[in-house]
Parts: sequence; structure tokens; C-alpha cells
Amino acid sequence: MKLVEALEALEQNLSAQSPVLNVQLACGFTPLHLVTFLNAHLRTEFPEHRIEIATGLFGDLAGNLERAAGEDADALAAVIEWQDLDPRLGFRALGGWAPRHLVDISRNVREQAMRLVESLESTSRTRTVAVALPTLPLPPVAFTPGWQASAFESGIRGAVVQLGSRLAGLAGIRLVSEQRLDRASAPSARLDIRSDLSAGFPYSLGHADALAGLLARLIRNLSPKKGLITDLDDTLWMGILGDVGVENIAWDLDRHAHRHGLYQQMLASLAESGVLIAVASKNDPALVEEAFQRTGIMLPRERIFPVEVHWDAKSESVSRILRAWNIAADSVVFVDDSPLDLAEVKAAHPGIECLLFPRDDDKAAYRLLEDLRDLFGKQALSEEDSIRLDSIRAAHVASDAVSGDGSTSERFLQGVEGKLTLNFDKNSGDPRALELVNKTNQFNLNGKRHTETSWKRYLSDPQAFLAIASYEDRFGPLGKIAVIAGRRDGGRIAVDHWVMSCRAFSRRIEHGCLLRLFEKFSADEAAFDFALTPRNGPLQTFFAGLLGTTPEKPFSIRREHAIEKSPPVYLEIRESAHD
Amino acid sequence: MTDAEARLTRCFLAAFPGLKREQIASASVQTVEKWDSVATVTLVALIEEEFGIQIDLEALDRLDSYRTILDYLNALPGA
Repeated sequence: MKLVEALEALEQNLSAQSPVLNVQLACGFTPLHLVTFLNAHLRTEFPEHRIEIATGLFGDLAGNLERAAGEDADALAAVIEWQDLDPRLGFRALGGWAPRHLVDISRNVREQAMRLVESLESTSRTRTVAVALPTLPLPPVAFTPGWQASAFESGIRGAVVQLGSRLAGLAGIRLVSEQRLDRASAPSARLDIRSDLSAGFPYSLGHADALAGLLARLIRNLSPKKGLITDLDDTLWMGILGDVGVENIAWDLDRHAHRHGLYQQMLASLAESGVLIAVASKNDPALVEEAFQRTGIMLPRERIFPVEVHWDAKSESVSRILRAWNIAADSVVFVDDSPLDLAEVKAAHPGIECLLFPRDDDKAAYRLLEDLRDLFGKQALSEEDSIRLDSIRAAHVASDAVSGDGSTSERFLQGVEGKLTLNFDKNSGDPRALELVNKTNQFNLNGKRHTETSWKRYLSDPQAFLAIASYEDRFGPLGKIAVIAGRRDGGRIAVDHWVMSCRAFSRRIEHGCLLRLFEKFSADEAAFDFALTPRNGPLQTFFAGLLGTTPEKPFSIRREHAIEKSPPVYLEIRESAHD
Repeated sequence: MTDAEARLTRCFLAAFPGLKREQIASASVQTVEKWDSVATVTLVALIEEEFGIQIDLEALDRLDSYRTILDYLNALPGA
């Protein structure tokens, strides 16, 4: 983005009713064009929001961070440069570069780094924090020639690596990737010494643009895709299985097929990170099963569900896979080496992200691996990630079992040995609650979403309550599958959010949750901030069962009415104060 | 309007979003209230990026209006 484009973007005003995203930009230099680029990139990432950016004082990053912690904002972008760790590592201070100063500079860098960690950690408890570690070249401070890394340089770079390691381990902090920044902004083209000396702004425009773009992306924290559907022949492995036979498909260096091995390795990594992996292939099912028994295959057969292998159209396979996963196409990536198959799937499922597997191009294959990591990347892995595939398989078995007549369903539910655990600790900081609120569509009270900061703010209300529901039965654990959030007001509860994973349908968990909620808070009445959304049909059906008609706006329900209208609940319901 | 005038006008509109297009040709430090030191830095960055040049800092004091900047640009070698 050019500066003129960024400034023009800022002139495109949203209505006064648009929600405001308040962002603090903390840096030690004059923010000048960085604040312009950050504003423009945030507008791209948050098109529905009006962006307001507050900046601090020149030359006082640590102080700016400490002041920012005491102010109200949705996010903080902290940009640390060498001069913030010691002014002598910048160009505007003449504090001395003599050899006798080096020990003092090194000590100062370490002390300042510790101070910044404390300040950033404190701020991250209340808002999203995006951090950029020093991006500019070190000035020629040490006495060694420029091509030689001095002990001084290695030492202070080590201190910054330690700083990054500490910050990256904190839940509320996200660091700009050095590697990605290197690609977008060449290190040698970042410093604008003339601008630094004349205006106190040390960045070239290109660097300011690149850094602002990455900071904005970190603040947005895009939801990752949930599932990947892959083709097999000339994609997961090299060769057409039906033509060359099981023994001659390849994914190794010797047969120049290693790009397929790397792709398998990436899929195995994604699967272990909780991404659903399925196969859609026009192939012979028996041969495919045999192929997955080959020694050395990186993606184990048990990591894949479902496997759609037949001669029907790929789009039909994708439809069946989406039904089995019970997720929308826009949460899924489809990878195939055939442009025709990609186009056919895209036409039937416009929301799906279709990626070509470049079977003859190692460079393009490497880019595909990076793209996949970007599409599925997440900040941390949760318990739910490790059990997602098993719970979907279990849900599939369970849904088959309840698909008969009502009596079969009752017998099934009685024998399923369901255990529902509700955790009412709203201060646990469990990110799963917000994740469910922000990604659940079908069983969702009103479709309202939260940023990390607004969620923390919501829960900080003394009257606010939060219930995170976990479930398991004899088919296995489903993990944390539902969230209810609201406020208590005497004998009444106001439910503002109620979401439940589609994997948990058909077990009467929603009835169990509602009844327990009345009991927990000794409430006589519950008010629901309900709103019809295009996708919350399952929740509408649930409420229609209780009310006798589908609601169209917020409503209340009495406890005795809920008890009377609820079907038998065979769940063992218990509470846990902690995870 | 020449190509240089059109590109310079775009820079002025971006640096001074309150200005109307017809006010640009007569814009100067005296007529544009928001033309302060920060606006100068922004305008210089815009012009340098748009024209792929580096403005001599010694010349900045003279570049106090749309007209003087346009003359400066037109006087550059290869303009």
C-alpha cells in the first residue's frame, strides 16, 4: 500500500453508528506514517469498525506502555526498536559508542527488556496485544567490522530473543513473525536515516506499510479454517493409483516425489493440531485402503475421516464430508491437482477455499505448505483440538443410532451414559469460551460476537456469569461444547449468549444446561436475548419445542414452564469449579 | 492539467483532506490552515513516493505552496 492510498482509505468514513475499535500504538519514535498505515490496514481487517488510534509520547516507549495499561482500549500495538532498549542504539542520541560503553549498553538492554515484559504482560490481561521486536539494523556500535558478529551484538540480540520467547509464551500477546516481515520488507531497506534525523520517524514507507499490515493482522486474529479435504492421486502421493499400482505411488526424494511427502507431513501436523482431514478421490476403495498400509506414509489412515473414494463427482463427496463434519463450506479448504475438479467443487460449494496442488513445481508446492499453515494457523492448541476427530466420529455413530423412531432414540439416550459438566468459573481465562461464541452458528442465541477485549469487559461485570459445558458419554469425550453467558438479577437471569457445538446435538444437552442454570441461580425466570439469524435454525427448533412456537425476538421463560416442556434428560450433570 | 499537476494534486488531496480540488492550485502555507510541520513531512513523503525522488531538505523552506512545488518538480532533470 502506498502512503497516498493509505491516506485516501482514511477518508472513507463509516456511519457514526459503526462500532469503534480503539487501538493504542505504543512506540518510542514519532509514529507519523506508521499510524497512518496501521489505521488503513485495520480498516481493511475490520471493515465494519471505525478505527481510532491513540499514540503516546516521543522517546518513551516504556512510559507509553505503562500509561496505555491504565487506559481503556480494544488492542495495543507495541513497536519496540533498539533505541527503546538503549537510546545509544538509535541515531538521534549522542550517548557514546566507545568500547567502554558497550557493557553498560548490554546491561541496559537486558533491564529494559525485563521492564517491557512486565508492562506488556500486565496490559495483555485486559486487551489484545500485538508486539514487534526490533526490526531496524543495529548501528555500528561495536568495534568489530560490519561483517563480523561481535560478542556485543550477539549478546543484545540474545536478550531480544529471550524477550520474544517470554512474550510469545504469554496467552494474550502475539508477536510479529520476523520471517514474514523479512519477506514483506527487506532488512536493508527498512531504515530511513534522513527521515529519522529530520522528523524522528526511522522507517522507510515500505517498511512502515509492511509492519503495520502484520500488526493489523495480529490484532484481527483471523479464525482458522477447520477442515481440509484432499485428493489422493498426484496430490497426497505421486502417481495414479489405478495405473501404477500401490507399490509405485511415491512421496520420496529418490523418485522426485518429495513434495508429496512434505504435503503429507503438513497434513499430519494439521491433523494433530485439531484440523479435520478428509479424502475425496475418484479411485478404487480397496486400492486406497491398501495404499494407506504402505510403510512410511506420513499421514496415518486413522487421522482421516471421512474417506470418500468412488467414481462420483468430487462435489458430491465434498457435500457428504461437510455433512459428516457438520461445518460450513467456508470453514474448509479443498486441495486437488486437477483444475477441473477444483472448479467443479467451487461451483457447487462457492464458500470453499480451493487450492491447486502443483504436482510439477517444487517452489509452488512450498508456497502451498505456507498457505496451508496460514489458513489453519492458531495461537495455541487446546484439549478440544486433540479430541475433535474422535468426537466427530463418535457423533457420527451416535447420530446413526438416534435416527430411528422415538422409542429407539429414548433407549439410545438412556444407554449412552452421558455426563455433562458445567464450569461456572468466569475468571478461568479459558479461550475456548470465546472461541465457541465467535465460531458457532447453528445453535447460537443471537449471532453476537466479541473481541477478546470486549469479552473480558463483558465478564468483568460483577453480575455476569459464565458456564462452560463439557460432555462425554460411552462413545468418548466431546470436550467443551457449550457456553452460556449472562447476568443475574435477583430471581431472574438474563442470558446474553448461548452457543453449542453441532457435535453435541441430539443428546438433550441444551435441556440439561437450561434446567441446571435455573437450579444454579435459584432463578424463577430466564430472559433470552434471542435473535433470528440465517443459520440458527437448530436453536429456533429447540425454543419452539419449549414455547410451542418459534420466537422472533427476545423472550422470557418461567422455570416451571421449562421443566414441564423439557423431555426426559438422562444426563448425569455435575459442576466443576476449575478445569 | 499535466500529468505532474494531476499527481501533485492527488498528493495535496491526501495530505489535506479538507481541501476542495479547486482550492489546490492556490494552496500555500498561508492559505491552508492545517499546513503545519507534520503536514509538511507527510506532503514531502507523498511527493517523494509519487514522483520517485528525494527532495533536497535545503529546498523545503521555499516549497511552501502548490505552485512552488510544481515548479520545483518541473525543474528537476528529466522532468
